[in-house]
Amino acid sequence: MTDHSEILMNRTTLAKPLGGRLSRLASGHVIAPPLVFAVMLGAVWLLNPNYLSPFGISIVAATAAPILLLALGQATVLNVGSIDLSNAATSLLGTILLAMILPGYGFWGILAILALVTVIGAIVAYAQVPSFALTLGTLGVLQTAALVTSDSQTIYLGANRELVSTLYTTNVGFVPLSFWLAVAVALVFWAALQFTRAGQSMTAMGKNETAAILSGVPVRGLRIAAFAVSGFLGGVAGLAILAQAGSASASGIGSALLLPGIAAALVGGASISGGQTNPLNVIFGALTVAFVPMAIQALGVGAQSQSLVYGLFIILVVALTTTRSRGIVIK
Amino acid sequence: MSSFARHRIPDGSAQSARLVPPERWRAALRHAPLGMILSIVVLAVVFTWANPRFGSVENLQNLLYQVAVPLIVVVGTTMVIQMGSIDLSVQGVMGASGMAWILMSPNSRLAVDFGPWAWVAALALGLGLGLLAGIVHARLKVPSFVVTLGTWYIGLGIGVLLYGNGMLPSLTSETLARWPTRLTLGVPNAFWLAAAALGLGLLVMNYTRLGRGILAIGNNETIAGAMGLPVASIKIMAFAVAGLLSALAGILATMQLGSGSPDIGSGQLFTVIPAAVIAGTALSGGEGGVVRSALGVFLLILLNNGLVLAGVDPDFQSGIFGAILVVAIIAVSWPLRGRLKVAK
Amino acid sequence: MTDMHPPVLRLSHICRSFGPVKAVNDVSLEIRRGEVVGLIGENGAGKSTLLKILAGIERPDSGEMQLNGCPVQFRGPRDALRAGVGVVHQEQSLFTNLTIAENIDQHSSARSGLERAGLQDWGRINREAARALAKIGVRLSPTTRVGDLSFIDRQMVEIARAVCIDPGQGATPLVILDEPTAVLEAAETQILEREIRKLRDFASVIFVSHRLDEIMRICDRVIVMRSGRLATNKPISDVTKDDLFRAMVDGDHQPVVRRSSPATRTPVLEARGLSRGGAFSEISFSVRPGQILALVGSNGSGCEALMRCVYGAEAVDGGQILVDGRAVRRWSIRKAIAAGLAYVPAERKTEGMIAGLAATRNIALTHPGEGAAGPFLRPGRMARVAQGWFDRLEVRPNDIHAPLIQFSGGNQQKVVLAKWLNAPALKVLLLDHPLRGLDVGAGAIVNRQIRAACAAGAAVVLIPDTIEEALELADDILVLRDGRHSACHDLAGGGAPSIQEIVAEMV
Repeated sequence: MTDHSEILMNRTTLAKPLGGRLSRLASGHVIAPPLVFAVMLGAVWLLNPNYLSPFGISIVAATAAPILLLALGQATVLNVGSIDLSNAATSLLGTILLAMILPGYGFWGILAILALVTVIGAIVAYAQVPSFALTLGTLGVLQTAALVTSDSQTIYLGANRELVSTLYTTNVGFVPLSFWLAVAVALVFWAALQFTRAGQSMTAMGKNETAAILSGVPVRGLRIAAFAVSGFLGGVAGLAILAQAGSASASGIGSALLLPGIAAALVGGASISGGQTNPLNVIFGALTVAFVPMAIQALGVGAQSQSLVYGLFIILVVALTTTRSRGIVIK
Repeated sequence: MSSFARHRIPDGSAQSARLVPPERWRAALRHAPLGMILSIVVLAVVFTWANPRFGSVENLQNLLYQVAVPLIVVVGTTMVIQMGSIDLSVQGVMGASGMAWILMSPNSRLAVDFGPWAWVAALALGLGLGLLAGIVHARLKVPSFVVTLGTWYIGLGIGVLLYGNGMLPSLTSETLARWPTRLTLGVPNAFWLAAAALGLGLLVMNYTRLGRGILAIGNNETIAGAMGLPVASIKIMAFAVAGLLSALAGILATMQLGSGSPDIGSGQLFTVIPAAVIAGTALSGGEGGVVRSALGVFLLILLNNGLVLAGVDPDFQSGIFGAILVVAIIAVSWPLRGRLKVAK
Repeated sequence: MTDMHPPVLRLSHICRSFGPVKAVNDVSLEIRRGEVVGLIGENGAGKSTLLKILAGIERPDSGEMQLNGCPVQFRGPRDALRAGVGVVHQEQSLFTNLTIAENIDQHSSARSGLERAGLQDWGRINREAARALAKIGVRLSPTTRVGDLSFIDRQMVEIARAVCIDPGQGATPLVILDEPTAVLEAAETQILEREIRKLRDFASVIFVSHRLDEIMRICDRVIVMRSGRLATNKPISDVTKDDLFRAMVDGDHQPVVRRSSPATRTPVLEARGLSRGGAFSEISFSVRPGQILALVGSNGSGCEALMRCVYGAEAVDGGQILVDGRAVRRWSIRKAIAAGLAYVPAERKTEGMIAGLAATRNIALTHPGEGAAGPFLRPGRMARVAQGWFDRLEVRPNDIHAPLIQFSGGNQQKVVLAKWLNAPALKVLLLDHPLRGLDVGAGAIVNRQIRAACAAGAAVVLIPDTIEEALELADDILVLRDGRHSACHDLAGGGAPSIQEIVAEMV
């Protein structure tokens, strides 16, 4: 068995472990998010250096915290090949419920939301319907629930306020605690993907669900788990929002976080087709997205048009990163 | 053509199956949306029984008035869904076009009146957003729900930019503001416009190569490509038509409201997608039709109207429609479950 | 029969290779006007590649193709259609939500003024469809939706679509029917046979089937392919069924049959009267530890579906599966794996492995063994497990962290096998075409592992690529024909059947 090709093979074998691992590290989706963030940082610095003062950084980090939490939840769902259009609405409802019951009940609100989202995950997994359609439906339900529970009013935090507001008022190195909390979640998520069977199986089912099923991966349970994580992190994001705003309303902060959340996950290198997520890069994605309103303002355009930029971001990022094999049908 | 005569000849021999007239009727009936019509009738009867005001001429005209905007939108949405894709951008396109239109028509903010050019510009904006979505989807192979999620917010951003920080632009032309409510042959003009859009949709789906191509792609995109159909162009055109119709709906909604708002399309997505799905337009493509979806819109608006008359808060609309969507898509796909089926 | 016309189809020295495999190797043949030619061959003999070349889906590497005397080169399926080659595929390729007329029109290149304006010319489409339907003598209304038709009627529409092309003055269309009877009931098959005979009047036909009876009844001439070459090309009157069996397999070569008699223990896996609608019915078999059972059948015999049902990947409609003598309830893949079953699917890239995931992680996906402690992975141990398998199976390149997609097919298959061999208690190994697309070296290693697993007490159910493979590896052979039990051979006990005998039982 020492024919020519075998010799060639051996040579590549020698070269591979070093070069292979380096090239794997250097592949686009790994270095792109920090790179994009650096470009964004540079642009903001050029336009208006004041935004990078300690105060500016603290503002951006506070804005980025709920976005990062939602993006991490979205990345969990994207990693198993689905999408959750309702996680921002979950967060919104969570914020409102929390503001209402915090004086009395504390964290029961989050548990209730978690239960709801688990049910959604179960429905998606068992009914085998496209997740974007189903979560579009739940988006409507949750938005209405937010509107109805708050009675279209703004709810201000009363007693027990300091329970959540410390997240915003305590700073560690210019950066509020809420952001560090989100970073901690990202680290845990990263470790879970690398070092647990469930994390590895989620990535596997995102990459090739049929093969995962045939390999005995419990795809239903994992899909439910992914949606539950997304809902739970939506609740935590609600906490961060509440800490920052001190109040909750169906049209306040958090009512427009769906797109920033998805954009942050995608800019952070999560693939829309599944199986490709690096939670550490999602941190850069969220920071990039949080800088968008500032960059727009620095350009002299009204900050309200940020949704336009997020929309372009999503299309651009997905168009740049999507894989196009011949003959594949994209719906 | 003797061949035409041949297939009508009743033939006793065990040849292959052929359609004799009664069977033809049965086939036609099989594809008729009887369930939808029945549901509408039942709902109407129940609501009339619960509240006699429901059946009044005024309320029926009001119903037609309310149904106009989602009806226009659903024609385009259905075309896209029949192709197996999805268009989530309707609310954004409506916001952008509505704002563009009102700022070029007689309004309280700018002293301008571009007349028909306001229509052209607003419709062109919708067409452009649709083209953008179609091109990115068909040429760059980005899943349609992602692209249209993007164009949804791009449209919304354009609307917000146009709205700016100035004062609310309201329509100053009485003629324009009154036009949607004015009755022609006892029916509000808004509905006539919607009916025209529906007619256009029917023509496109049944009498143009675009429409038949949309159906072919929705049925089996791989075969359609192999048969040499211009799949990419058909997709782009379908999204363009959907954008155009959303723009038209945005203009009509702005006229109905009498003032401009980027959120003019708010809640429409939760009307048209559930409407299409409950009417049998499978999200996987190929099935359903614009008439069915129109009936779906009627059913949902009827439901909403009846509930509002019964004293239910209008805020509940998106929630109820969202719940209907959830139940409907599960009901449709439940029999198709399989151990190895992958649904993302 | 002298014919002054040029042949409808003339192939000279057509070759097409996929990597090292010569799928079509120097094929030359002629098909005359009005001739019905049968094309047969074992799986992998090169039939489907040849058909794809004719249909314009694949391009030949070398050789010349002539239609009605003119040399042609197809750039795509559409070119083939225009030139007058119509194909009725095994999987129907009709738009079920469109009318018959529209489906037939897909092949036509005629366009009226209305259509150039982007409109649908229903008049022309219906007229032409009616003409095409009349041509093959089928009475169907062109305005019927295809979704409302029975299966045989859809087949007729496909044939009408294939013959509606007008390749030009004096030219004859070539209709290729790719296993059209595989999915039809007996009565429907008769109708189809009659229709095919009618086609002679104005077209030439290539009829692909795995049923020799049909070939003998319908065709004027028969072509047998074997290993990419033409093995036989004779008028039907000059051959017998036995000649064809012999031609399909290499007549002189008889493989060495393995004769180890497995321990007479109780069956570890048993199927009793398993049925699945449209796939197979009333199939029973059993395997004991250390035994290798081969399931043999041609396309559509139901072997693959049977194996998937046993694995729990598809539901059965009737019958019982017994593991260790106990009937299973609510069978599923997860339960099968827990019971010690393993399944290597035929579609390696799409079903067998996670291509984008590293080899270590693919191996640790199902049975991580010492690579995991409870829910947590231990990367160091995982790598050691993987490296152990890489050394044992000689996987190249020797990089356990590389994504599986970077390996060759043979090495991928070794990793897929390692995933299952890593099971703590492997009881049954289900192998669907485990050697498909593998070179000789990798094949030998995979076969060695199969035998080793067997020796270690696992039972093996194998769907082989060739009958030789079955005879070489298996202790027992179960032959399926059209989803039904056809024959059963105990190689260890009774005498080994010849390849011809088994082929005769398959077709």
